[in-house]
Amino acid sequence: MKLRLLYTRSNVSNPVISDIVLKTRVPINILEAKVSLNGGEMVVDVPATGKELDEVRGLFERAGVSAKEIKSVMEIDSEKCISCGACVSPCPVQAIKQKPEWDIELDEGRCIRCLICVNACPVRAIRSP
Amino acid sequence: MKHVGTETLRTYEQINERVKKGDAVVVTADEFVAQVQNCGIETVAKEVDVVTTGTFGAMCSSGAFLNFGHSEPPIKMFKCWLNDVPAYKGLAAVDAYVGATAMSESEGFDYGGGHVIEDLVSRKEVELRAEAYGTDCYPRKAIETTIVLDDLNQAVLVNPRNAYEHYNAATNSTDRILYTYMGTLLPNHGNVTYSGAGQLSPLYKDKNFETIGIGTRIFLGGGIGYVIGEGTQHSPQNEFGTLMVRGNLKQMKPKYLRGATYYRYGTSLYVGVGIPIPIINLRVAGSAALPDNQIFTNILDYGVPSRSRPAVKKVSYADLKLGKVVINGRSVPTSPLSSFKYAKEIAETLKRWIQGGLFFLSRPAELLPNQSEFKPLEVRGHELRVKDIMTVKVTTARPNHDVRMIASLIVRNGVDHVPIVNGDSRLVGIVTSWDLARALAEGKSTLEEVMTTKVITARENESGDVVARRLTQHNISGMPVVDDANKVIGIVTTDDLAKLLRKWKE
Repeated sequence: MKLRLLYTRSNVSNPVISDIVLKTRVPINILEAKVSLNGGEMVVDVPATGKELDEVRGLFERAGVSAKEIKSVMEIDSEKCISCGACVSPCPVQAIKQKPEWDIELDEGRCIRCLICVNACPVRAIRSP
Repeated sequence: MKHVGTETLRTYEQINERVKKGDAVVVTADEFVAQVQNCGIETVAKEVDVVTTGTFGAMCSSGAFLNFGHSEPPIKMFKCWLNDVPAYKGLAAVDAYVGATAMSESEGFDYGGGHVIEDLVSRKEVELRAEAYGTDCYPRKAIETTIVLDDLNQAVLVNPRNAYEHYNAATNSTDRILYTYMGTLLPNHGNVTYSGAGQLSPLYKDKNFETIGIGTRIFLGGGIGYVIGEGTQHSPQNEFGTLMVRGNLKQMKPKYLRGATYYRYGTSLYVGVGIPIPIINLRVAGSAALPDNQIFTNILDYGVPSRSRPAVKKVSYADLKLGKVVINGRSVPTSPLSSFKYAKEIAETLKRWIQGGLFFLSRPAELLPNQSEFKPLEVRGHELRVKDIMTVKVTTARPNHDVRMIASLIVRNGVDHVPIVNGDSRLVGIVTSWDLARALAEGKSTLEEVMTTKVITARENESGDVVARRLTQHNISGMPVVDDANKVIGIVTTDDLAKLLRKWKE
């Protein structure tokens, strides 16, 4: 699951993610990070489910870091999309596939939000919400 | 070839008679390929009257002639813009040509001539702005208004080069991401992109040009259009045939004319083209039956910024459609840039039009050439190459040399870059004055400890433009010039380029 983390001025200098990784042994992957003295925002991938995931989320909350689930990582506008495939092979993690009839399919779990596909789309049909 | 275009199996009149009665046998190229594989060419060729084809890809050589009508008082437009995209005005007072790759003066890459055409066909309002110098007969000097497609007297799509028979596939051997007209190419052969509709491609289905010619009626942008000649760069003997086409924009549909942007390359227009191939003889049938696994293309290395890019591998469209190919022993993902989904839809739409008696086939007034020379542009006059710019006397050093000694050498010789070479003067690294300053500050003793080993280099025959672009891309101020054996034969720096610019200005 992908989470958007919001740090405040008081906890931005704490090694929150490292503490949680050491404690839970869940290999949290940082996808995006914007950190300043006044706070920070990160997007992380938490490869866990069920109890383990609840524990990770609980630990973020306890550390004062808001952790909201990102439901949709990328949006493909099917009205605009021409099913060309220009976004498919440039995806560095093969999260975008073409079905047998060439329709585009995004595997949100694999997506690392690198945004290469957003620029690769010739008709601007992909955006990150 | 003798008897090109002979109508031995059926004539155009016979086909159109059947279209009129509603009993013409029409199949798409995909269906025809499958039927021939199952039943053999002779049986199927006897049965099928027309094979429909389709392609939907970015076709940069596209645009539209527009006639705006005359304002009161009238204007002889000298410069004109549509939604801030400049249109060509070297024509009569209110005629203009808007080309797909022209870019908006305010939005640049995000909006271009292709988008203007899509917006017009979508019946959106488009801002028209024009300037003039004013004449006795055309006194007005400026105009700003909005137009919609149906206001225009004529709006005619005239595309000098469409429907490439096939196209090269692309990959990238360099260590940086490339943004090209072949889309986004990942470093180190990270992916392959390709274009063209393979076995649905119109020109492969009549590869000897026996039926397609001036006056051939076609599906164009969702409406009806015509072939008006061979396209520019038509090179049929290399299977790079192209078409020049025209059609009334007012009949077309925005679905099949889509403005496009290739990131950091420019704007274009996706055009839908479908051509009916009348099965007039067995040769035409044989061409129409060509399957994906017999249509080949080369994967070229777009990392080489040259007219002649080296071919990495020859593959068929069947290979490319599998989604991966092997390059240097590694599986590399492939994906198309043109839409197979739309290409198929176009072939199916054209099939329905003919079956429904809405579309008749036309015998061309003249067939297209099946031989044509494709010439490069020779640059006459002297053009600067690295060897003309580079400094031949290079200060070099060895990896085990002392940092302090080289620091004083840099000061004495007034240079900023010192290529590091081994015993046979082959390049192994580089240090800059900045590296040395840092080395001194950090108390390092030999060059080996501070040199950059991954050196960006130039070759003596490369053009000045290419080398200047490389310096900017890597954000460096100089690079050694090496020969085939990687021996240093010179150095080219931004100082050399600046000197050159000064000389040229004088």
